[in-house]
Amino acid sequence: MSSRGAASSSGGPQLGTSDSSKRISKKPKYSRFTQQELPACKPILTPGWVIATFIAVGIVFIPIGLASLFASQRVVEIVHRYDEECVPPIFSGDQLAFIQSSITNKTCTKNFTVPKQMKGPVYVYYQLDNFYQNHRRYVKSRSDKQLRSKAGELDISTCKPEATTGNNSPIVPCGLIAWSLFNDTYGFSVKNKVLNVSKKNIAWKSDQEHKFGSDVYPKNFQSGGLIGGGKLNASIPLSEQEDLIVWMRTAALPTFRKLYGKIETDLEANDEITVVIQNNYNTYSFGGRKRLVLSTTSWIGGKNDFLGIAYLTVGGFCIFLAIGFLLLYVIKPRPLGDPAFLSWNRNPSGIMN
Amino acid sequence: MASERPLLIPSPRVPNTQDLFTVPVLLDLFKSNSGRRVSFSGMETKNPAENSSSVEGTLNSSSSRRSILSTHSKASGGGGNSIREVTFADLGSKPVRHGSRGADSEGLSASQKEISDEDARLIYINDPVKTNEKFEFAGNSVRTSKYSFITFFPKNIFEQFHRVAYIYFLVIAVLNQLPQLAVFGRGVSVLPLAFVLSVTAIKDAYEDYRRHRSDRIENNRLASVLVNNQFQPKKWKDIRVGEIIKIHAGETLPCDMVLLSTSDPTGVAYVQTVNLDGESNLKTRYAKQETLFKMPEKEKVTGLIKCEKPNRNIYGFHANMEVDGKRLSLGPSNIILRGCELKNTEWGIGVAVYAGRETKAMLNNSGAPSKRSRLETHMNIEIIILSLFLITLCTIVSACALAWLLRHKNELNYLPYYRKKDSAGEDYNYYNVGLEILFTFLMSVIVFQIMIPISLYISMELVRVGQAYFMIRDTKMYDEASNSRFQCRSLNINEDLGQIKYVFSDKTGTLTENKMEFQRVSIWGVDYSGAKSQIEPVGYSVQVEGKVIKPKMNVKTDPELLQLSERRNDTKEGRHVYDFFLALAACNTIVPLVTDTSDPTEKMIDYQGESPDEQALVYAAAAYGFMLIERTSGYIVIDIQGERQRFNVLGLHEFDSDRKRMSVILGCPDKSVKVFVKGADTSMFGVIDKSLNMNILRATESHLHDYSSLGLRTLVVGMRQLSASEFERWHSSFEEASTAVIGRAALLRKVASAVENNLCILGASAIEDKLQQGVPEAIESLRIAGVKVWVLTGDKQETAISIGYSSKLLTSKMTQIVINNNSKESCRKSLEDAIVMSKKLMTVNGVTDNTGGSSEASPTPVALIIDGTSLVYILDSELEEQLFQLASKCSVVLCCRVAPLQKAGIVALVKNRTADMTLAIGDGANDVSMIQMADVGIGISGQEGRQAVMASDFAMGQFRFLVHLLLVHGHWNYQRMGYMILYNFYRNAVMVFLLFWFVLCTAFTLTTAISEWSSMLYSIIYTSLPTIVVGILDKDLSRRTLLKYPQLYGAGQRHECYNAKLFWLTMVDTLWQSAAIFFIPLLAYWGSSIDISSLGDLWILAVVILVNLHLAIDVIRWTWTTHAVIWGSIIATFICVTVIDALPSLIGYWAIFDVAKTATFWLCLLASVIVGLIPRFVVKYLYQYYSPCDVQIAREAEKFGNLREVGDVQIEMSAILGPQRR
Repeated sequence: MSSRGAASSSGGPQLGTSDSSKRISKKPKYSRFTQQELPACKPILTPGWVIATFIAVGIVFIPIGLASLFASQRVVEIVHRYDEECVPPIFSGDQLAFIQSSITNKTCTKNFTVPKQMKGPVYVYYQLDNFYQNHRRYVKSRSDKQLRSKAGELDISTCKPEATTGNNSPIVPCGLIAWSLFNDTYGFSVKNKVLNVSKKNIAWKSDQEHKFGSDVYPKNFQSGGLIGGGKLNASIPLSEQEDLIVWMRTAALPTFRKLYGKIETDLEANDEITVVIQNNYNTYSFGGRKRLVLSTTSWIGGKNDFLGIAYLTVGGFCIFLAIGFLLLYVIKPRPLGDPAFLSWNRNPSGIMN
Repeated sequence: MASERPLLIPSPRVPNTQDLFTVPVLLDLFKSNSGRRVSFSGMETKNPAENSSSVEGTLNSSSSRRSILSTHSKASGGGGNSIREVTFADLGSKPVRHGSRGADSEGLSASQKEISDEDARLIYINDPVKTNEKFEFAGNSVRTSKYSFITFFPKNIFEQFHRVAYIYFLVIAVLNQLPQLAVFGRGVSVLPLAFVLSVTAIKDAYEDYRRHRSDRIENNRLASVLVNNQFQPKKWKDIRVGEIIKIHAGETLPCDMVLLSTSDPTGVAYVQTVNLDGESNLKTRYAKQETLFKMPEKEKVTGLIKCEKPNRNIYGFHANMEVDGKRLSLGPSNIILRGCELKNTEWGIGVAVYAGRETKAMLNNSGAPSKRSRLETHMNIEIIILSLFLITLCTIVSACALAWLLRHKNELNYLPYYRKKDSAGEDYNYYNVGLEILFTFLMSVIVFQIMIPISLYISMELVRVGQAYFMIRDTKMYDEASNSRFQCRSLNINEDLGQIKYVFSDKTGTLTENKMEFQRVSIWGVDYSGAKSQIEPVGYSVQVEGKVIKPKMNVKTDPELLQLSERRNDTKEGRHVYDFFLALAACNTIVPLVTDTSDPTEKMIDYQGESPDEQALVYAAAAYGFMLIERTSGYIVIDIQGERQRFNVLGLHEFDSDRKRMSVILGCPDKSVKVFVKGADTSMFGVIDKSLNMNILRATESHLHDYSSLGLRTLVVGMRQLSASEFERWHSSFEEASTAVIGRAALLRKVASAVENNLCILGASAIEDKLQQGVPEAIESLRIAGVKVWVLTGDKQETAISIGYSSKLLTSKMTQIVINNNSKESCRKSLEDAIVMSKKLMTVNGVTDNTGGSSEASPTPVALIIDGTSLVYILDSELEEQLFQLASKCSVVLCCRVAPLQKAGIVALVKNRTADMTLAIGDGANDVSMIQMADVGIGISGQEGRQAVMASDFAMGQFRFLVHLLLVHGHWNYQRMGYMILYNFYRNAVMVFLLFWFVLCTAFTLTTAISEWSSMLYSIIYTSLPTIVVGILDKDLSRRTLLKYPQLYGAGQRHECYNAKLFWLTMVDTLWQSAAIFFIPLLAYWGSSIDISSLGDLWILAVVILVNLHLAIDVIRWTWTTHAVIWGSIIATFICVTVIDALPSLIGYWAIFDVAKTATFWLCLLASVIVGLIPRFVVKYLYQYYSPCDVQIAREAEKFGNLREVGDVQIEMSAILGPQRR
């Protein structure tokens, strides 16, 4: 700051200290903004408002809770864990050996009954437990550039440790995620009639169109020493490999479902469904569980009572609070803005202390 | 002080010439009639400036320490402070110095010192080459800019990284660059730092550009400089030390220069120093007689100036000049400083001694020392707690990760989501458990980095700028009289204004206007009080050369006295009146300036002077027909009842704080020589001849007592006729003293004392020091607000007490404890007694009565009055503690007769012993040390120059604005800032906990569900603006309520808006809220096919809505800006999340579109936000309704309008609200 600046700083933004400018009044212009007197709404938490708010929350939440609970109840869901059962008893001591062996018969047939009528489409999911698809090492091990176009084929720097084969040729699709592609398959039949499972449109349209290129074909996939999971047909472009696309939308939580396919027909109650499972996927090495899920859907999604219960609880609690506040207000009201409550009026010597 | 080494230059005592001229002069004197006689015949006029005023004044507090005993100058009522010396060389044209007042007096005790060679700089006049060859003196080019084009980037970056916060940013960003640790993309992680750095850099660059521009203009101005014996225009930047410069009227000085000669034959130059110290009156500067007639164009002027090293003291200069073999000493009146303007003088020639950055003006530019706000200091504790949180979180994550790794040690290579070995069979990105854990720890620091709210520091700065904007723009703090707005000179301590507990105020110019009004007069034992006549004064005027001359200010006159004064010398009474007013008109250093008015037949006479007391006296004399018309060096012309008379000023002893009086020796037209003395009563009664007129003396004394009990400032006037022999004796000793080199000030003081004795008392004058508008009301408000007001003044005790009463500082209900002591022991005793007494008073009257229900019901307040002499013994000794104990029991403390440094000492006394905030307010140079010492320093931009303003944090025009500043803006600022800090802690911590919960679900591997862009934008775009806007605009109470109930100010003093309890409550709330928004979606989506990006989008939206709604619940005043910014932020977040999810290169491509189609998403969003907010809402309501704080009740009262008037709390606020109320 210079002396000139210092001298003129008294003028605030108006510069110039010459004699002529002294005549100009530096009085700040009045505006409601600069005087901080803009029109304003000054809400105060009065008992009326607070009680009304809680009642309103209750009134909104309880019906939502009921509706979602009802919707959730209507969803029919068949969950069937098969990872243990599908290991032949002789291998029960060493499940790992069973799953890693290439000669064991991994086919496993199961039957279950449809408890209620299931309107089509019935969604077929596989559910994995204890599988950290959100593991940092896992999540990062992919190359979106490579997936998107042929030009990015060599863009594999982020894919380690599954970037290249032993002889340094790039793997397409590279990375741990693709490498660990889930590869159990399910075949359904009702009363000896094969149930058609549609594997089309199980992935997001946006992924198929923009993230997985139609000119990118699998290359060197699953050819290394360690086989992680499913193999891909090298003649089908990635944009058509919907199982891969679904798999590569990594799950948020360690227990997750992924869409396997859709059964477009209705399933009647007490229908006996036979599932032929190709139990290929190795979850035995880390104690993961595999489940097969058949589920209908509703506006709330799958079967999920939590939201309904939560809404009912919160709504009920709010109503309870509202009633409590109301009682409190009736029992012990305080006149608002009563100066008698001001500290210096309650305790006259308050100022001196 | 004298140098040990012999000086190079022989002592310039020149008795021969002096003695030679004495006789003719004396003859001349006694012969002379009133006719004008000018003779320049080589007569030597000794310059008066070589008094001891080369003092490191108040600017330099360390050196002014020695002046602790000197009394506050302006309060002592006298004229200028510097000793005035006039020699007798020439009667016709004698230089009279109306020298600069101010800091000079501070160091009178430091007598003339010699400059040792090491401390000196040598300047060869007119030989810049030789001057500069040995020493590297600064050129005259000034650079206020900080950077050049090339150095800008590195220097600016370097400076910015002085802040710890930025280093934290940098460390985080660097950590993130390590491949093992890269949590976020490399670009993304640098973004916040880059953003902050570039915003600051752009701001700095712009400011520096403006400085460059003004530097360029300044440096390229032209001045005429002597080159090859001709004055040629030269750019300012090329001027060098040692060069001879010619300045014409109206031009600004390019550098500090010693005057050699001026257009005035006596060597006087008038300068205006408004750019330097803000004082607009003209100051006189002198050229040395020895150099006065040298014409640099014709003959080569050579010489050597030996002067002190550049320093900041604008009132001090100390040098010797050797010219023509003579050694002359130079003082502050011989130098003109850069930035001054030459006025009323055709030209002046000088030699540059300090140039460029070494000029005093530039050295004084370093602004006020930066202070840190108390809130920020408190905040540091919470920052440390947050750091501990951060470390705890990181440790938890690392420990869990360790446990996980150990448990899965053997499976690592088989885990499909881990795969330790790559295809070549080598460990990929896995070192060993120890390193893995270290990396996990560092990564978690990166992920949780916003736990330390760096953005808060930036927000705080922006908020302070906004608050300052509103304070500056406040029409209620605009001073019409001085046309000055409020100024924020320091941007760091806005919120401290809301927590002040002690106000230390200067009196003169702060509480009072420093506009003196002549009120009463006692002449020859008769009291003439103007109160008898209520008629508007008719301005006295005289006719001169067909034109009417009027004084600028009219003074109330007493009709009786007016008659007497018109009768002139006829009666004995009349003669006394005549002498009295002659003394008033003559015994001063006022310069009359005759200016034209709009009416061509009228002229206005304006008395310019440095002491407002003197101005008032001269105006009063003019009103009674003794109009000072002209003052030249050597004589004055006074129009006495229409008859012009010329008085030769034979000698003048200026005011100094030891004698506390000044005197002038006049050669009257009737050829008599008289000495007129005026001064403080204490000093005058000692020199008055008591044998004469005892009755009159007594009467005067009682009048003086009356006056001072009315709060008037009194001066006693005396005179004596000098016989020829007396005069001669005085004259020779005066000559001797004024040419002395060493100890001149003391010698002169001795000479003055010799002549100022056996005086005949003429009378006494009483001047009212008018209180500023609204001061009593302001003090009352502050008192009710629980602010202790201490007044520190240099005035005498009676005056201070009377001002105390008139300003409502003291009330009749108070018990006064007065401490006046002369020794340490007596101080100790009276302090002990006083403490006992005050305790008794507190307990006896401690019984409260419940009827009043107001502040009046408190115990008897105690007022402490203590004087400077006692403080000398108390401060810096073990008695300090006792004084503090006593003072803290008193509601009012008045300190009288305190020196500037004692003021700072008293502030320090309180500041060091309590955690309470102190504020010092003052207007003069003597308040600078106090202003800098206090937590908040406020300068009054009044009449007394800019010293106080320059040192202050805030500056304003009037004392009463303090009420608006503290009770209104201070309260608002504190409330806003306190809330903002808490909110920022909360906001960032919610995000951190959200991330932390998720980390627990990812095998402790620090995956973030929220996309990295969103995490980074969270504190930049999603949530930053609302808190800043609320921090600037929200206000809990209206100005009206705050002024009506000053007690509401207590909220800040009690730290209601920001304290440890609130911090911990906020943190608990944070934990709940983060849990709510994390676990509701988690449970709803457990075992579903949700992907990580969709859930991340849900969480970021939930947290942003939650955080903004949280703010919305707390907003007190909803203006359109608040609405825009809060809802705007939520909308902006939706837009940003959508945009981020529309980028196919990112992993979360299209997630938001997909997930937003499902009902669960919206239900989760709603439920988590509501559940998160319910506890806070409930607690807030219960607290506000059942345990309301004062602010809350006042808010309700404001809204529902049932503000009952609460009896005597009501005070008249109109004066504080000011005339421009809307």
